[in-house]
Amino acid sequence: MHAFILAGGFATRLWPLTEKRAKPLLPLAGVPLIEYLVRDIPADVPVTISTNAVFQDAFEDWAKSFGRANVEILIEDTKSDDHKLGALGATAQWIKDAKIDDDVLLLTGDNYCGFSFDAFLASACEDTTLIAVHDIGDLSKASAFGTVIADGTQVNGFEEKPQKPKTTLVNTGCSLLPKSVLPILIDHAAEHPDNVGGVFEEILNRGKAIKCFSFSEPWFDIGSFDAYIEATKELVGDSVIEEEGSSLTDTTCSGSVVLGARSKVSGSDLTDVVIFEDCHIEYCVLSNCVLDKGCQLKGIDLTGKMLREGTKLIRDE
Amino acid sequence: MRYKGLLLLWLLTDLAVFIGSYALAYFVRVGWILSTDFPFEPYITVVAISAPLWLVVLITTRTFALTRSQGSMRNLAYIIYSSAVGTALFALGYYFFYGLFFSRMLLLYALVISTVTIWIWHLLYSKFQRAMLRKDPPVFPTLIVGVTRESRELIKKLNKGSNPLKPVAVLDGRGCKDSDIDGVPVRGKLNKLEDVLNEGITHLIQCSDLEQVLNLLSACRQKKITYMLLPSVLGIVERDEKVESLEGQPVTMVGPRESKLMWFFK
Repeated sequence: MHAFILAGGFATRLWPLTEKRAKPLLPLAGVPLIEYLVRDIPADVPVTISTNAVFQDAFEDWAKSFGRANVEILIEDTKSDDHKLGALGATAQWIKDAKIDDDVLLLTGDNYCGFSFDAFLASACEDTTLIAVHDIGDLSKASAFGTVIADGTQVNGFEEKPQKPKTTLVNTGCSLLPKSVLPILIDHAAEHPDNVGGVFEEILNRGKAIKCFSFSEPWFDIGSFDAYIEATKELVGDSVIEEEGSSLTDTTCSGSVVLGARSKVSGSDLTDVVIFEDCHIEYCVLSNCVLDKGCQLKGIDLTGKMLREGTKLIRDE
Repeated sequence: MRYKGLLLLWLLTDLAVFIGSYALAYFVRVGWILSTDFPFEPYITVVAISAPLWLVVLITTRTFALTRSQGSMRNLAYIIYSSAVGTALFALGYYFFYGLFFSRMLLLYALVISTVTIWIWHLLYSKFQRAMLRKDPPVFPTLIVGVTRESRELIKKLNKGSNPLKPVAVLDGRGCKDSDIDGVPVRGKLNKLEDVLNEGITHLIQCSDLEQVLNLLSACRQKKITYMLLPSVLGIVERDEKVESLEGQPVTMVGPRESKLMWFFK
C-alpha cells in the first residue's frame, strides 16, 4: 500500500492565513493539520505528499522536523492557481510516473479525521474501494458536502452538494483504492482533472463495488475561517494551549485559546482565539479571531477576524 | 520623480500666470502703454513679491492634491478665495512699499483676470499632468480590490477621466469570471495580493470584502501604499459622508442631505 496526500491547493478562502502557508500546514490546536493524518498512517506505508512549487520549502521543512523516513514531497509543477494540474490530475500523474502497482490510500490534506486509520484499513475487503464517511447528523449541513447514499456498508451512489440531500453521510476525502481501479482513476482524470469525488461515481458506473467505513469521531474539512475556528473549539475545548516560550499575563481566557510559540499576551480578554507564533498582544479584547505570526496589537477590540502575518495595530493611550 | 518634477513645474508656471494676469489687468485698465502717472515697474515688483504668498494660500487649499478635480465647483471656489487673498495681499503690499492706494477698478480687473486665467491654466495643466502621469509605466499604479458594479463604474471613471491613479490590476476575494474590466486585468483572488503589491502598486482602492479591511490595511502599511475605501463597502450609500473629528477622535459621519450652506455649521 502507498499513501498519497493531496496538498496542492492555494486555499483562497482561508486568505490571509494561507497567504504564505499551505492549508495542510496550518496549525490546528498547535499541530500542523497534515501531521494528524501522517502520524496515523501505519509506519510501514510510504507516504507521498503532493503539493506545488510555492509551498515546496515549507513542506520539506515540515517533513524534516516530523522525522518520518518514508515521507516524500512531490512537487506539482505549478506556480499559481490558474495552472494547477488538478487534484485528480496530480494523482493520476503520480500513479503513472511512479509506476504505482499497489493499493493507494488517498487522502486530502486539509481534512482532519478523528478516526483511526488502523480501524479504517482493517475494515477493507480485498479488491474493493473503501471510503470513509461521516454522519454529519443534519440534512441541511450535508448539502455543503458530497453525500454518499449507502445501504449498510454498500455504497449505491453519490451526490455532490445536493440542494435536498437524501442522507447525512458525507464523503470525507479518505479512501482506499485497490490497484485494480487505478486505470479508472487515470482515465477519469484525463477528462476531469479536478473532480476527485467524481472518480468514485465512475468506479460505481464501471460495475465495481464501493464499501463505506462510517465513523462518529470528529471530522473537519478546514475550508473556511468558520470551519477552522469550529475545529479548534472541538479539539481544544474550554482550555488554553500555551506553546514553548509563550506567556499570558493578567489575561482572561474563555473558550478555546491557542497561544503560539514565543507569543506574549498581557492585560487582555481572549475568547476562542488562535494566536500564532511571535505575536505581542496588550490590552486587547479578542473574540473568535485568528492572528497569524508576528502580529502586534495594543488597545484593540476585534471580533471574528483573521489577521495576516505581521499586522501591526497599535492604539496609543 | 516624474510627479515631483511636474508639480514643481506647475507651481512655477502658476507664479508666472499670476504675475502675467496682473500685467494684463494693468494694460486693460491703463491702456496698452507704460504710464508715467502709474508706473508699471513698481506695480509689477509688488505683484512679484505678493505672488509667492498668494501661492502659499493656494497650496493650503490643497488644489494641487493628486485627487483634486480641477473642474469641480469646489476647486473653483478655492481658486476664487485664493485670488481674493492675492489681490488683498497685493493692495496691502503696494501701500506698504509706496504708501499709496490706486485704482479700485484695477484691483477688480486683477481679481477677475487672475481667477479666470489661473482656473483655465489649472484645467489645462492638470490635463497635461494626468497624461504624463499615466504614461507607461504609470507613476501611480492602482490596485482595485473587489469586483462590484460600483468598482466597475469607478474603473471606467478613472480611465475616462485620465485620473493619475491608473488601475493596473483587479483582485476579488471570491473570484471573478471576467478576465478584465475596462481593459484592466483581473488577476485573481486575494492570494495574489502579495505578488501584485510587489509590482510597485502605490494606491489600493477597496471596493468590497469588508471582512478584509484590516488585512488590506496591514499590507498597505507594510509596503507604504496609500489605502482608500469606497463608503459603500461600509454600507454608506446615497448620503453625505465625511470624516470628522469628535474631541480629536476621527469619525466617519453620515448625515442626511441638507442645504450646502449648513455644511459650515454642522
